[in-house]
Amino acid sequence: MKKYNAFCRPAIVISLILSMSILIVSSAKAADPVKVSVLTDMSGPYAGITATNVEAAKMAIKDFGGKLLGQDILFVYRDHQCKPGLANQKAKELYEKQKVDVIFDCPNSAAALAVSKQALIHKRLFFSIGSGTTRTSGPDCNRYTFDWAYNDYMLATSVGLWAADNLGKRWYTITADYAWGHDLLKHFKHALETKGGKLLGNDMVAFGTADFSPYIINAMNAKPDVLVLLNSGKDGVNSTKQAIEFGLKKKTKIVHALLFIEGIKAVGPEVFADDYVTGAWYWKSKNPGSKEFVQQWRKKFNKPPNWMNAATYSCVTQYLKAVKRAASKDPKAVIKELEGHTFRDLLANPGYIRPEDHMQVGKAYILRAKRPEEIKEPWDYFQIMDVMPAEEVYMDPTKTGCKMGCF
Amino acid sequence: MINDAMSKQKIILMVLAILLAIFLPFLAPYTALASEILIFALFAMAYDLVLGYAGMLSFGHAALFGLGAYSTGIILIRVYPSALFGLLTGVIISSLAAFLIGFLSIRRRGIYFTMLTLAFAQMFYFMAFKWTGLTGGDDGLQGVPRPSLGHLDLTSELTFYYFILFFFILSVVICFRVVNSPFGKTLQALRENKNRAMSIGYDVDRLKLIVFVISGFFSGLAGGLYALLLNFVPLGSLYWTTSGEVVVMTIVGGMGTLFGPILGALGIILLKDIISNFTESWSFIMGVLFVASVMGFRGGLIGIIRDKLKLDI
Amino acid sequence: MTSQFVIMQLFNGLILGSIYVLLSLGLSIIFGMLGIINFAHGAFYMLGAYVAYTLTAYVCPNFWFAFIFAPIIMAGFGAACEVFLLRRLYRLPPLYIMLFTFGLMMIIQDIIRMIFGSMGVPFGTPKSLMGAVNLGFMCYPKYRLFLIIITALSSLGVWLFLSRTRLGSIIRAGTDNSSMVDALGINISRIFTLVFGIGIGLAGLAGVLAAPIQNVSPLMGMDFLIDCFVVVVIGGMGSIAGSIIGGVIVGEIIASGIMIWPPIAHMLIYLFMAAFLLIRPRGLFGREAFHD
Repeated sequence: MKKYNAFCRPAIVISLILSMSILIVSSAKAADPVKVSVLTDMSGPYAGITATNVEAAKMAIKDFGGKLLGQDILFVYRDHQCKPGLANQKAKELYEKQKVDVIFDCPNSAAALAVSKQALIHKRLFFSIGSGTTRTSGPDCNRYTFDWAYNDYMLATSVGLWAADNLGKRWYTITADYAWGHDLLKHFKHALETKGGKLLGNDMVAFGTADFSPYIINAMNAKPDVLVLLNSGKDGVNSTKQAIEFGLKKKTKIVHALLFIEGIKAVGPEVFADDYVTGAWYWKSKNPGSKEFVQQWRKKFNKPPNWMNAATYSCVTQYLKAVKRAASKDPKAVIKELEGHTFRDLLANPGYIRPEDHMQVGKAYILRAKRPEEIKEPWDYFQIMDVMPAEEVYMDPTKTGCKMGCF
Repeated sequence: MINDAMSKQKIILMVLAILLAIFLPFLAPYTALASEILIFALFAMAYDLVLGYAGMLSFGHAALFGLGAYSTGIILIRVYPSALFGLLTGVIISSLAAFLIGFLSIRRRGIYFTMLTLAFAQMFYFMAFKWTGLTGGDDGLQGVPRPSLGHLDLTSELTFYYFILFFFILSVVICFRVVNSPFGKTLQALRENKNRAMSIGYDVDRLKLIVFVISGFFSGLAGGLYALLLNFVPLGSLYWTTSGEVVVMTIVGGMGTLFGPILGALGIILLKDIISNFTESWSFIMGVLFVASVMGFRGGLIGIIRDKLKLDI
Repeated sequence: MTSQFVIMQLFNGLILGSIYVLLSLGLSIIFGMLGIINFAHGAFYMLGAYVAYTLTAYVCPNFWFAFIFAPIIMAGFGAACEVFLLRRLYRLPPLYIMLFTFGLMMIIQDIIRMIFGSMGVPFGTPKSLMGAVNLGFMCYPKYRLFLIIITALSSLGVWLFLSRTRLGSIIRAGTDNSSMVDALGINISRIFTLVFGIGIGLAGLAGVLAAPIQNVSPLMGMDFLIDCFVVVVIGGMGSIAGSIIGGVIVGEIIASGIMIWPPIAHMLIYLFMAAFLLIRPRGLFGREAFHD
């Protein structure tokens, strides 16, 4: 039986011509589009705060116009579950397989450090937003890594200096016993001593401890003006709840390292009433674009954004603008556009990207958590007590230990 | 005749396995993931020696893995930038640790043995946590280099994968020989019926210790390779949940088969990666799979394959 | 360090121990009877707290309502787990049951995270128990004193049940030799269900009691899990007295560790656990040559 029929030969010819044309057309393709990625904690302990950073990035891309260098901006995201080993692998996947030009976020200091090394190895950009470690803008800095919105030094120094002036000079600290806690303790102590205060004592608490009563007892024994809780998340809630239990809050004010509106909503404002903390932004801010961002966010999530979301929005926007200014997505060109750049957006008015250590600096907001009876609007959990300028709250760029090398 | 048919099956399977191993970097979502699969396959296989063949449920293997990783990393950063020297140090340290932990823990049986291994592993974890100067504490050991091996540039992920594959194949061959040797057969005898083995005159504790040390050797090798893969060592490598992960891989793959855990590692790592890109509920799915393996498919993946294809592996 | 301060810390160590005691009671009973280490015990504790939250948030905003019903619900849930899931695994080596509970832990924790989120839910102290009591050497929160009392009552209750009732003696006999009890015509599988239910009910009670003073979140049980293993090892698996004394000891070790050198507090308990396992594996009050 003859398998050939009248169709075969023309079909073969046509398909050959088609495939040749496809090959020719694709080899003459345009430059690759800009590909942006977010690597964040979406199912781990901080997911409640950071998982929405993905949306913030998407919003920033959309508000920018969705197109850059003549093509659509591409976007992917990955979950690192707050695990440093996984973050490292995902960063490799993003840079190598997904061929992204930039990674944003990466909360968790060990993860951020690992990803920043991968950024250097692959010679692509990384913007550390969620992680507070001072190492990425300090001894472990590199030309491809930028630090946005805050770091531990800023958190500690801003509310530290303010509290020493306004709340009292006798402090007690309860510290989460790992690198982040130790870092914060160092900076808080420094801020306190600059103002002539005295650290009456400190307790290191093993990570995962649920019962803080022995430490609360220690603290009460010392009779401090201020109790500084250098922990976050579950530990922050437990230590605060237990401080109330023992009546510590009657005589002592509490300062937190990190506290978000979602955290207050989750356990109720009575727990955190009259506590103090620093934020890089608050949703009542009057910075340019803030109100619109909050409106958009409310439409989507039925609640206002937290300052990590705002930081992500700002960071992505500034990156895209830098690419536009450089008229190229080549990392070296973009880096040169970012270094020393001043900008005004919803997060920082103004914000400045320091070339010495790639730290984006801006004002810090001293926030007081409102008592339940003071809350007139849903989610309006904080009152802005004061705003501190960037020069006061960030480390002198020549003293960070960062030796910004070449590319 | 039947022998011919069976060995033909075996040969086909071997060829398929080798092809899979060679092409895995291109089949997996990304090359570094393929490397991670090999590393954990090695770790799970090492673990199976203790669980599947000697019948001891250890919850302390994270210590052996982690010690291998940290030793290799520290040598590469501070002493001498040679991958081979680093790995060698790693396996020596992990084997020594295995000897120490094994010597103390094997005195006890069953759940007490498990608890002891857990206690020792947690002690190592806290030591690494505190000794920030040496290990980096919870920031992890950052900046582990991947120096070239002669002309071989290991910084290329693909080249590094084949570097790992070389050690992997070597380890599989050695473990296979161990398990099928008279020593290996004795192990299985004592797993089946300890009293009988003792009455025949075998020094059960000594045998168990030897297996534990061998397992420690290969766990440390896996750890060292992991440090090289990531260019850093996360503190979590020493935490008990890492032990838990390798237990899951071994059970899901099929314990007591050596190849089962390899399959288990492949399946779990691939699944975790793919699932986590779609949903945050991967932990739930993992848990369900694991429970299903425990309740239903006790032979693991290998058991299912065996049944379906009526093989004799 | 004044003597008053030392007394304060040591007294507080008792409270630290209370949650450990309740959790370890359940763990110990389950191990004693069924020979399995329940890796999911921490998850059941967490579930108890969430059940309490759900009851107060959606059914009846009264702490006492949750206090009574949450443990009962958890006991029922535990019994159901035993009947429908665990029973299939008894004829297998104990390894499989332990692994099953490990997988169960992962599943329960993730389901709660999916429903309630990972940040936690609010749970306040009941008004009747707010405030502090002046004990002379310190002002101590009323709620924590309540905790100690309930723990003491529960331990007493469980001990009385096991040693004075007929059902209790059947359980004790079943612990020693379950096949013999079975041969005597007693439905041993019902006993297993009852014991597992009681164990999980105790975990649930611990969860309700902990909810006001801790963050009710999906991973709240993980912190306690390993520490409870330590308590059970030190106290002796299967022993009620052991769980109580063991819980108190662990609480005091942590309290002392914190006073002397805080970083070492946690590592101390692992050292103790290893020491006991090596020197006296049956713990303080456990029976000899338990399970091989």
